[in-house]
Amino acid sequence: MDRDNQQADEAEGGKICDPPADTLATSLSLLGNHMFPERNYIPSMKNEEHNDSLYETTEDQSEEAQADDVTKPETEKAECFECQESVSSPPADRGLEDATCPADSDHADSGEFVVTMLAKAKLEEQGLGVEGQSSPLLEAGAQDSPGFASHRDEDVTADSWRQHRKHVFVLSEAGKPIYSRYGSEEALSSTMGVMMALVSFVQSGDNIIRSFYSEEHTVVFLHKEPLVLVCVSSSRQSERQLRGELLYVYYQIISMLTQASISRIFEHKKNYDLRRLLAGSEKILDGLLNLLDSDPSFLLAAVHCLPLASSLRDSLSQILQKAITPNLVFSILIARNQLLTIVQEKTVIEDTRLEPADVLLLLNLIGASSAFQAGEIWTPICLPLFNPDCYFYAYISYLDPPECTVCLLLLSTDKEAFYAVAECKRKIEGAMVAQNSLSLIAKVQPYSVSQVGVSDLRHFMYKPFDVPDNHRQLTQFTSPEMEAPYSSEEEQLRLLDLYRYMHSRIHSTSRPLKLIYHVAERETLLAWVTSKFELYSCFSPLVTKACAITAITKLLRWIKKEEDRLFIRYPPKYSTTPNPSKSSRAGKSDQQDSTDNGFLSLL
Amino acid sequence: MPEVSKMKKPDVKVVLLGDMNVGKTSLLHRYMERKFKETVSTVGGAFYMKQWGPYNISIWDTAGREQFHGLGSMYCRGAAAVIFIYDVTNWQSLAELEERFLSLTDTANDDCIYAVVGNKADLTDPKAQQLQDSDAASGTRAEGTLESTEPQVFSACPTPPASPASLSGLMLHKQVSPEDAKAFYERILRYKGLDEKSSLPADKMCFETSAKTGYNVDALFEALFNLVLPFILRKRNEIQVSPTVDLEECRGGGNKRSRSSCC
Ligand SMILES: Nc1nc2c(ncn2[C@@H]2O[C@H](COP(=O)(O)OP(=O)(O)OP(=O)(O)O)[C@@H](O)[C@H]2O)c(=O)[nH]1
Ligand SMILES: [Mg+2]
Repeated sequence: MDRDNQQADEAEGGKICDPPADTLATSLSLLGNHMFPERNYIPSMKNEEHNDSLYETTEDQSEEAQADDVTKPETEKAECFECQESVSSPPADRGLEDATCPADSDHADSGEFVVTMLAKAKLEEQGLGVEGQSSPLLEAGAQDSPGFASHRDEDVTADSWRQHRKHVFVLSEAGKPIYSRYGSEEALSSTMGVMMALVSFVQSGDNIIRSFYSEEHTVVFLHKEPLVLVCVSSSRQSERQLRGELLYVYYQIISMLTQASISRIFEHKKNYDLRRLLAGSEKILDGLLNLLDSDPSFLLAAVHCLPLASSLRDSLSQILQKAITPNLVFSILIARNQLLTIVQEKTVIEDTRLEPADVLLLLNLIGASSAFQAGEIWTPICLPLFNPDCYFYAYISYLDPPECTVCLLLLSTDKEAFYAVAECKRKIEGAMVAQNSLSLIAKVQPYSVSQVGVSDLRHFMYKPFDVPDNHRQLTQFTSPEMEAPYSSEEEQLRLLDLYRYMHSRIHSTSRPLKLIYHVAERETLLAWVTSKFELYSCFSPLVTKACAITAITKLLRWIKKEEDRLFIRYPPKYSTTPNPSKSSRAGKSDQQDSTDNGFLSLL
Repeated sequence: MPEVSKMKKPDVKVVLLGDMNVGKTSLLHRYMERKFKETVSTVGGAFYMKQWGPYNISIWDTAGREQFHGLGSMYCRGAAAVIFIYDVTNWQSLAELEERFLSLTDTANDDCIYAVVGNKADLTDPKAQQLQDSDAASGTRAEGTLESTEPQVFSACPTPPASPASLSGLMLHKQVSPEDAKAFYERILRYKGLDEKSSLPADKMCFETSAKTGYNVDALFEALFNLVLPFILRKRNEIQVSPTVDLEECRGGGNKRSRSSCC
């Protein structure tokens, strides 16, 4: 690939050229013929109005909409007033309020989605049904059961293959297949070849292809040298959300191989088959893609911790804080794939905070790699947002065999530290036995929305951001369990899709909104972003706007009251650097040198 | 119970090496948990502690993926035994042992012992196909001592298939013969600069196993553990913890383990 073009593209921020129509159209229809042969396939290029930085930093999305925000959630009177103000101000939202479409009452929400999507894409307005879409949650369920039939074996010419809600492909710039969510990479090599042809063709005109739309599909590209990631989705998510998801896939690959080693490999050999190094990691990427569909943490770029009495959380943190060894940098306790507590080395994170994306990718990696859980795992792992080029060494062990629900994760910068770190686990285990922590943890439940005491409120997701310093460690969100009517996987997915829609409106790059009140067919949703928090809430369809606003006020008050239980509030730190007199910066670079050595020897 | 055993310092280290997908994790799981279940490809390495009589044997199940290759020599440091595992239906998996994994043992102990194991024998040999009802089998076998299981290794003529003919019709082609494995074993000795005569013979150190059916799995691990006992004893003597340990007592311990594991 032409490196200079790529640089130029990055700087230029993605205008799309008008490439000679014939060649481009040929490529597109080739791709279309394979992916959706029966469809009346109308490729359509979309001029991308975003600039690069907006999607490059998915994790910081929230900031754009807060810019001129003046809302103060603490003063409740003013808050309600402002709510109404904002609700009625953007004209498009007034339209949304009563946007339920009587003609298509079964799929009113999706109809609305589509209108928005298509309007944005400047495509002809054609409704999409939701029939025949496979639920990624169901697929996730199937994956978890042992002995599932691998998606790798799928027939890529079959209709069922095309009907998957979301395809993801990863290829090298030489057009070599690296990963496909469904079907084997070999069977798809010609499809991927066409995709790469598209990318390079557009690139040869000093441009970047970002997306194109067909009747039912959004195709999104993410070019992260030397990899190209492509998503073909019928999920009606925004292009930007889909690109954010591709970015997670990219970072998960980095978390296993590091950016430096991938670049080095492709510098030496442009047509290297990266599957050699990723072989065996498919399940990790499969698992990530299932989570992206079913876990809102990724959408919000925030971690969800298990609600825990602050006294218990503090005592767990103290146990971790006391069991240390040189070069240990993070100690993390996880129960049922949610955070219990996280303790960090002082100097390492003084000027860098741990990114939620790094934690989410780490949790996915653990979840997908520890089937035989009786052992103690020691493995190199990279935290791509912390530093994409070097490895940490992760010690992973379950504390409650054979149930294996409570997992201890210790990260060290020293490749050789296994036995020392394993010794920390013995200490932690001993202290937890003494304090009876495991049985206390076993009793912890996700909370029910009924505890809030607002009758029409069905579910919510609340993500604070601009809170006192101690929160800034790690962006978190809180959310109750999904209960009836969202007990089935289909319904949960439907609710998440509604949230995704609200999220895409709130974070629209062309016209970001602060507040949306959205009357859908089976529920009413309210999304609100301020300088202090981002909130998505779901009410029964009968709620009135006034009721919803009162409810939100109550909800915010409840969260404030429960804060200590819902969030990891005061994560303690420890000091394990051999030379504590060093400044934090020196300390940090010191740490990284040692990881880098480990990394070099790994190659 | 795991808490207690884990507190102890390992006496000796055994390492499993081999290409991805040959069945290292499955073999260890079959031996430790007496089960065959779906695995995921190992990341890095996984550390296990096995109580063997009065001794604690640490076992490293390493990842076969190329991605983790650089870590191999760390896992092998100070090892008393290395088990090279290949897949009998896959010639390349034996070739990889020589190309990629043999050099990792440079950090192993000088008197490290080596075993070569062809796994997935159930796919090629009818005799390995029969499910070894692990609980019942280990119960009877424990009485029969280890020697009785060892001749199973490469017994020249396989017993007639106990399974229906239709099953044996599904047999895969065996790509690696026992002779290939033995020849590789000789090359290990040569690579290590060890004298064939004073080393353990290839016949004793090459195995064919099936993690799926349990065929030969206990025989492999128990033979190996018995062979590393002298190593443990010497190490213990060196640190003057227990100046005299009766070898017979250790064997007794080993058998006790077998018996207790069946209840
Ligand atoms: N038929 C048969 N299949 C086996 C046997 N042992 C393992 N397998 C299968 O082979 C595959 C790989 O097994 P693993 O134990 O994960 O292989 P591994 O050597 O640990 O692989 P890595 O961890 O990636 O290095 C799994 O699908 C197992 O079910 C066996 O004895 N017979
Ligand atoms: Mg394994």
